[in-house]
Amino acid sequence: MIRLENVSKMYGNETPAVRDASFDIAKGEFVFLVGPSGSGKSTLLRLINRQERPERGNVWVAGKNINEMANTQIPFLRRGMGNVFQDYKLLPNKTVFENVAFALEVIGKPKHVIGQQVPQVLELVGLSGKEDRFPHQLSGGEQQRVSIARAFVNRPLILLADEPTGNLDPATGEGIMALLEAINKTGTTVVMATHDHRVVNAMRRRVIQLDRGVIVRDQERGVYE
Amino acid sequence: MIQRISYAFRETIASFRRNVTLSVAAIITSAVSLLLVGATFLIQRAFDNLLVQWRGDVGMIVFVRPDVTPEALTFIEENLKSQPNVIDIGKIAYLDKAGSYEEAKRVFAGDPTTLSLLSVETIPSQFKVVPKTTDPELVRSLATQYRTLPGVAGVSLAEDEFDVISTLSGFVRTVTIVMSLILLAVAVILIWNTIRTAIFARRREIEVMKLVGATDWFIRVPFILEGLIQGLVGAIVSCGGLWTLNQAWTSGVAGFKAGTGVSSLVVPDSYVNGVMIALLLIGAVAGGVGSGVASSKFLDV
Repeated sequence: MIRLENVSKMYGNETPAVRDASFDIAKGEFVFLVGPSGSGKSTLLRLINRQERPERGNVWVAGKNINEMANTQIPFLRRGMGNVFQDYKLLPNKTVFENVAFALEVIGKPKHVIGQQVPQVLELVGLSGKEDRFPHQLSGGEQQRVSIARAFVNRPLILLADEPTGNLDPATGEGIMALLEAINKTGTTVVMATHDHRVVNAMRRRVIQLDRGVIVRDQERGVYE
Repeated sequence: MIQRISYAFRETIASFRRNVTLSVAAIITSAVSLLLVGATFLIQRAFDNLLVQWRGDVGMIVFVRPDVTPEALTFIEENLKSQPNVIDIGKIAYLDKAGSYEEAKRVFAGDPTTLSLLSVETIPSQFKVVPKTTDPELVRSLATQYRTLPGVAGVSLAEDEFDVISTLSGFVRTVTIVMSLILLAVAVILIWNTIRTAIFARRREIEVMKLVGATDWFIRVPFILEGLIQGLVGAIVSCGGLWTLNQAWTSGVAGFKAGTGVSSLVVPDSYVNGVMIALLLIGAVAGGVGSGVASSKFLDV
């Protein structure tokens, strides 16, 4: 589903953010990218959804080399990916329903499809009944659920999550992880960057560890070290 | 498709509301600049009316009586051609009654009384003559000579008619064109800046749109539409101004005595309409281009 071949990414002339990274992620896998801040986890995610392009190496997604993809094709690549962030990135002037519907609206989905899919996904993330709330009326955990609903409403093949539990207390974080696991069970490939020991150790999934841009460990059913 | 169009319009209107002050400034600037562009056209046209008889270095016009005999007409023409030292005989042009009548419509644009006395049958035809010599006295003595020929209704000399006006026309044209171009550039920059501000205000939304896979054009179109509408609204305001200005000018000119030449400075409504359509197009294109450039530059899509 996702393959990196000797990928290096530099910002300016400093030491590379990612150096010579290679890995293969199969369809339906759940993978943790771990490592301290600045080790290149976020950059790897940004390379996969092509917010960044590598200086060297190739990134393959669903059988396509996305570095060779024309710019006009990128929106269609991203329609097959959901993104979840530490700071949720919800639109403050839109309600819960509108925030999730927005993701379908901007890719031109008709109204009746939106009216059908949004309540479904809100139920899945446990936010039924809160459709008309605004983000500032929700707790952090609830906001993250909205953000996950928005990422998943289009049933993407891949879900990229960048520190999704970073702003949440442990109990709330567990709820979010349960949700991501449920999404993973539907067949969606999940790649999650985190430095949260507890969630990694509790889940026992594949762990790719980074240190200053270099992959130092790639382990099935791993733990955070 | 309909849904996308309605989306674009909703976003455009919302963005307008967020940015009322800047939008109004952009509209006013484009209105003023377009008004000046329009006024340039009208002033030019008014002077053209005055000068239409004398286009192409014509220095002397020999008017021929409408009831002239063919023999007399031929005699006048032969006579003109026999003066190769004074006049450029290759450029002698004969304007028949129909042509003269068309020309008179412009010369007497603001003097309907005189125009109503003329008809294709009763109007003099004319020979337009380009002098070769630079000595005005030579042309003047030639004119005196032609006035006595049979069939000639009169002879007019360019230097008696319009030297000052011609110079003035060139000056006014340059000044108005330069000023309107500067103002037009200011209008485009203001529209550009309004769009940039609108994009900045919505940067979070745009980031999310990009991540969920909105196409570049889907993101851009509302902004381009916004700039285009600003330019267009400015153009509509300028059209109103131009029309009012022209009405006031026409009634002002009507106050002058007939035959002073000032009455030629009237511009017909059909021409004003043409200029207004041009202004609407210029406004829409300038607004669309300004916002298109701004949205490509700042959306980074």
